[in-house]
Amino acid sequence: MNELITVYSAEVMRRLRSRSFFLGVIFGVIGIAVVMELPRYFQSYDTQNKRMVLAGAPQLRDAARSLLDKDFVIVAEQDAVRAPTPAELRAKKAAALVALTRDRKGVRVVVYAKDPGEISASRLQRDLVPLNLQLASRLNARQVHSLINVPVRIESVASKFGSAAQADSARAIAYILLLLLYILIMVNSQLIMSSVAEEKTSRIAELLVASVNPKALLTGKVAASATLAIAQMVVWVAVAWALGAQTPAGSQGADSSDSSGFSLSGISSTDVAGFVLFFLIGFLQTSTLFAAVGSLINRTEDLGSLSGPLFLPVVGGFIVAISALAVPDSPAVVVTSFIPLIAPFVMFARIVVATVPLWQIGLSLAINIAAIYAIAIAGGRIYRVGMLLYGRTPRPSQIWHAMRTP
Amino acid sequence: MLSVQHVRKGFGSVQAVSDVSFTIARGATFGLLGPNGAGKTTTMRMIVGIYPVDGGSITWNDRRIDERARRRFGYLPEERGLYGKMRVREQIAYFGRLHGLHDPQVSQKADAWIERLGLGEYVNRPCGELSKGNQQKVQVACAGVHDPELLILDEPFSGLDPVNAEMLFSALTDLKHRGTTLVLSSHQMWQLEQLCDAFCIITQGRNRVSGTLAQLRAAWPTRVVKVEPATAALRGVLERVPHARALEGNGALYYELPAGTDYPPLLRQLVAADAVKRFDAIEPSLQDIYMHTIGQA
Repeated sequence: MNELITVYSAEVMRRLRSRSFFLGVIFGVIGIAVVMELPRYFQSYDTQNKRMVLAGAPQLRDAARSLLDKDFVIVAEQDAVRAPTPAELRAKKAAALVALTRDRKGVRVVVYAKDPGEISASRLQRDLVPLNLQLASRLNARQVHSLINVPVRIESVASKFGSAAQADSARAIAYILLLLLYILIMVNSQLIMSSVAEEKTSRIAELLVASVNPKALLTGKVAASATLAIAQMVVWVAVAWALGAQTPAGSQGADSSDSSGFSLSGISSTDVAGFVLFFLIGFLQTSTLFAAVGSLINRTEDLGSLSGPLFLPVVGGFIVAISALAVPDSPAVVVTSFIPLIAPFVMFARIVVATVPLWQIGLSLAINIAAIYAIAIAGGRIYRVGMLLYGRTPRPSQIWHAMRTP
Repeated sequence: MLSVQHVRKGFGSVQAVSDVSFTIARGATFGLLGPNGAGKTTTMRMIVGIYPVDGGSITWNDRRIDERARRRFGYLPEERGLYGKMRVREQIAYFGRLHGLHDPQVSQKADAWIERLGLGEYVNRPCGELSKGNQQKVQVACAGVHDPELLILDEPFSGLDPVNAEMLFSALTDLKHRGTTLVLSSHQMWQLEQLCDAFCIITQGRNRVSGTLAQLRAAWPTRVVKVEPATAALRGVLERVPHARALEGNGALYYELPAGTDYPPLLRQLVAADAVKRFDAIEPSLQDIYMHTIGQA
């Protein structure tokens, strides 16, 4: 136990002092800030494209203004219906002039835009339908509004969400958490592989395995790496939380479905617990495997070629998990949510967006915890033998032999 | 007492060790000799538990070597390696902790080794910045920091300059006097000859000869005598000894004689033949025994 603690402490200190750890944390923080702030930036850019000058008869403008308000920003109004010069639009910081006229058939709209590609004609059409109906039917605005807006209520029967908006929000959060899970597992597993490869290539491996039980060495390394990955995750989530908390309510426009930026307020404690649990399971499985394979490396240049095949289940798990966000109960998704190395991603995705039967969660946990044990035993044996194998990369038969040697 | 009995180890089609046996008394210093590929490193690795034996047995104080016993061993591998970014004192203390030492004991012992091996000016330098010789001294300190009962050193002198080799030699002599059981392999025969109480020469994974230097010499079939001056009369006496063989020599007569040759009568004959200025009976060196054994193999 003492040697395990010694290896663990030394490994934590080594990693904390390493440039790669700090760069990982800092780049992670920058990445999260970018992911969270980028939509807001695009939102502000989008808002610029919604700045309109409204032109036409005063009655028409009065009726249209309230209808356009929810999607556009009316920056100026004028009676004269004519094409503006670019300078006029620039002076009013408007993207377009919307000219309203009336004829026998109803309202006619001509949009004089700086960039026609940025103007949504369908949105204008949709917004001005009530005005056209009002003019054609001679009903007042309120009557038209009540006729158009048929009340629809969606009641949840089997979903864990009360509304479509809640489900969308959960999917968005799950997507981000899956991405975080993927990055943390990949980055830290590679770091542990590099650390083992460094010990192998620096030839300190023999001194180490003569001084400490290889199992304790491997366990200490994986535990240290898991601790630092969790620390990294805490920093990243704290940054994401802080940035999410800065988002003022309703700052993203009148239509809630249009909201930009990510708010983490929708994460439930079950989601967080699931995230931590499946992170640990996925991390222990993947990092042990990466460490074992790292021990087979003779030159650091071989890291890429040997780690390539190990990425496949992790990348596969991530891709299936993304599909699981849309179809959490499809047979392929359900089956893969039990398979080691893939399940940590897929089952987590299912838990966030669907009501997964408890027996499935339990079975998946049992299979994957058993898999950790099996991988640790096989990985430990490969590691013990691999650390002392120099020269050519061992043949699969040698690896198989190492795994069978108690 | 370390007892290695008929151990075997193979790797696929290669039999690295076929049958090696020796016994080392507690506190003794033992030289394990052999050419490259003879099986020395594999034997050492089996003793420290890196490799399990395929056959035979290894015991320490008449008990199978378990994890606990192994923690009281120290090992300097032939393949040198250190954590390049870890500082010297930190590295030595780390290996002390791995062997069960705690603070403040581990710091005191690390400092003692640093002083003993003249590493004082490098204590806070990352090991990767040290010269090869100094790195090797750090590795020796890592192997010995926990005052092991049994210290196994695979080629400890290779790569060291004469000053550092002398420093290491004196550190090992100090350990020997303190009762540490030492097992060394080296190609520097004169150092082993001075340091070791007993030897085992192995080739192709098998024992060839083993024992103390006196025992190895006793088994040596010939002796060399040096006689001065190199006169024809003295040469004639030596030529008459059965199975005598003249060797190359400068200013003196060198003859290889059978081991059982009785020197007093021979000396009397020489003195009677001419004025003898010098008569030396030269015992075979470890190097001679080694070369002879390897040659036979």
